[in-house]
Amino acid sequence: MASQLPVIDYEKIKKIHDTPLEEFYTSGHRTCQGCESAMVMRDFAKASGPRTVVTGATGCMYVANTSYLTTPWIVPWMHTQLGAGGSSAVGMAAGLRALMRKGKIPQEKINVINFSGDLGAGDMGIGGISGALQTDYDLLIIMYDNESAANTDIQATGSTTYGAQTTFTPPGSKHRIMHRRWKKNVAAMLAVGHPTCRYVATASATFPALDFMNKTRKALSIGGPTFIHTFDPCPKGWDFHPRYSHELGELGVKSGIFPLYEIIDGQVIYTYDARQKGRIPVREYLEKQGRFAHLIDEDVDYIQHMVDTMWNEWEIPGVAPFRAGLSVAG
Amino acid sequence: MIKRVEVNYRGIFQKNLGKFIGGDIVQIASRMGKVAFSNGRYSDSPERNGIPCKYFAFVSPDLSEEELEAECGAKLDIDEADVSVVVDDTMVKGVEPWGWHGVRAINEKVREKGCLLVVSRHGHDQLLKFVPKKPFSYRLALVEGDASFAGLWVNKDDLTRERVLGAIAAVDPGIISIEAVEAYLLERTKERHRAEAARAAYDATLRSTRIIKAGEGADWAHEIPRLPTWKEFEDLGVAVPAVPRGFKMGPRGQARNDAFKRGTTKSHRPVVRFDLCIKCTLCWYDCPDECFDPTDDGLYDVNYEVCVGCHKCAEVCPVPECIVMVDELKFDNNDSPWEHHKRDPQGYITWAEDKKGTERIHYPHVTGTGMEIRQGKFVPPKQEKGGAAAEAKA
Repeated sequence: MASQLPVIDYEKIKKIHDTPLEEFYTSGHRTCQGCESAMVMRDFAKASGPRTVVTGATGCMYVANTSYLTTPWIVPWMHTQLGAGGSSAVGMAAGLRALMRKGKIPQEKINVINFSGDLGAGDMGIGGISGALQTDYDLLIIMYDNESAANTDIQATGSTTYGAQTTFTPPGSKHRIMHRRWKKNVAAMLAVGHPTCRYVATASATFPALDFMNKTRKALSIGGPTFIHTFDPCPKGWDFHPRYSHELGELGVKSGIFPLYEIIDGQVIYTYDARQKGRIPVREYLEKQGRFAHLIDEDVDYIQHMVDTMWNEWEIPGVAPFRAGLSVAG
Repeated sequence: MIKRVEVNYRGIFQKNLGKFIGGDIVQIASRMGKVAFSNGRYSDSPERNGIPCKYFAFVSPDLSEEELEAECGAKLDIDEADVSVVVDDTMVKGVEPWGWHGVRAINEKVREKGCLLVVSRHGHDQLLKFVPKKPFSYRLALVEGDASFAGLWVNKDDLTRERVLGAIAAVDPGIISIEAVEAYLLERTKERHRAEAARAAYDATLRSTRIIKAGEGADWAHEIPRLPTWKEFEDLGVAVPAVPRGFKMGPRGQARNDAFKRGTTKSHRPVVRFDLCIKCTLCWYDCPDECFDPTDDGLYDVNYEVCVGCHKCAEVCPVPECIVMVDELKFDNNDSPWEHHKRDPQGYITWAEDKKGTERIHYPHVTGTGMEIRQGKFVPPKQEKGGAAAEAKA
């Protein structure tokens, strides 16, 4: 499986002072103030280094980063259609392999990274990504999840948190909660169903520090098709002051509403174990966002109940909601 | 005849404010028997937090609806404005919503004898340090107030909307009259204080309007970039040149996208007390716009050309008073603060404390709700503490 090419020898970044200084996704993009998805772009580019090609599906991070013939990318970058994240990564990896086989470019490890938003990766492009994760190419797919279609002014997606206000789900006087879907568990779904995929992780760009960069490096070192799901507070769509975007990510992780884990060859490792460290109430996370301003205590209790169930009753918290033991029908 | 009003606002934060002002002008003008319509500028869409954006309102006493729309609808921008409203005064330093758009003058569209109407707590002279000169005379009017920032779905109801309407009536009664504004506000909201706020702003604006003579104002340093032609587009295809790789330690050492800097997005900028810095790297580590430059002595210089003023560095900085966000209008250049600090450490501290002043704003988490808390006096931190200052002394 995977390629026989020499791997890039990535070291784990142990201290924040050891973070590489050079940027490969640089200033001059059109993201919002305090954009955490821009942090995801910056960090994966920094962690993977110069021998990287990036494809990006339509979404915030495509539109904001190609403002009319200008770009902040230093590494090569290609735009692809909204649902085509997985297939573009496969195509690029296959193209590089073919060029190397024919001797047109030197034999060397070139990272192929695709980023797609939560609509692009989790809803629309999930078929393509599923297909990509069944190949034997070295590629990394990053789903940057700001819990909405943020590029087109915040429409609900499968990854939006229960109860949130979006352009599709405005709270009204008759119906307070218009968004009644629970967040789709994309990372776990892909991990469970794709034996070829040796590495799946969830991450938050800036909390815990270095966590996401090291996960990117681990994914690229392990090789084969890999997947990372990141949790990106969005000041525009979640309606909070941009100054707090780091804090919101931290609260989301600490409250346990977004579990951080990695799955390496079938082994689940919690990278921030909310059970041991003690989960903070989800209220602390919810009350700081305008999109939840219409929730009443009952709704907050319901969300807390769902999060508690995930951590206390799921067979593998955050990953698989099954009960243990086999029972035979009949 | 067509009267054109443009509302320059900060993306998302003032989106509803801009939209409401445009809509209100249409409603009021219609009640006065005129034809009017309002639209936003598509090129700014999708809006991002803080990006300078525009909303337009067009009013005509004699054209039909179809004629007015044919004349003004579906246009990226207008050629001239009778009134340019600016609802965040830091935009007078210039606006740059897109790549290749260039930093544009805030009064670029103001026509001769037209009016630039700014919501500000600064005086005319302070604003004219940044507003560039025009070859003809126009008027500068002020509505006293802070930039009213809210969110995508909320409007901050601090009467800025009503006061701007009153001020527009003062600077150009040909668009809407103050009587019509009052009648409209009273009828729509049934709240007398809204109409009174509009009237008070009307009176204040009549007093605060000043004629700006031809040639009065600042020199304009920004060139408008030349846009690629169709032929050049063909040559480029859909390939955009990447930013060339480049990094060295020190100010401006990182390669950046030169065609789009977008520093005009910020209404506050971080002022860093390098002597208090504990070199924790967090400002640099958490900056989504890569505007901090690592230096050899372990500090992080700020490139204000590309800083968008998100406040994140000030929030994550663990040292009190080390990074403080300061009103953008207090600065007239984008020079490297680290170089200033290196050149003259004591002078830099004095300069930084002077810029920081004694007032601190504490923003609520949710935009547009709750009060921004302004704290008065504070005690400046002692200078003996901290790495660089101690080193300099040693």
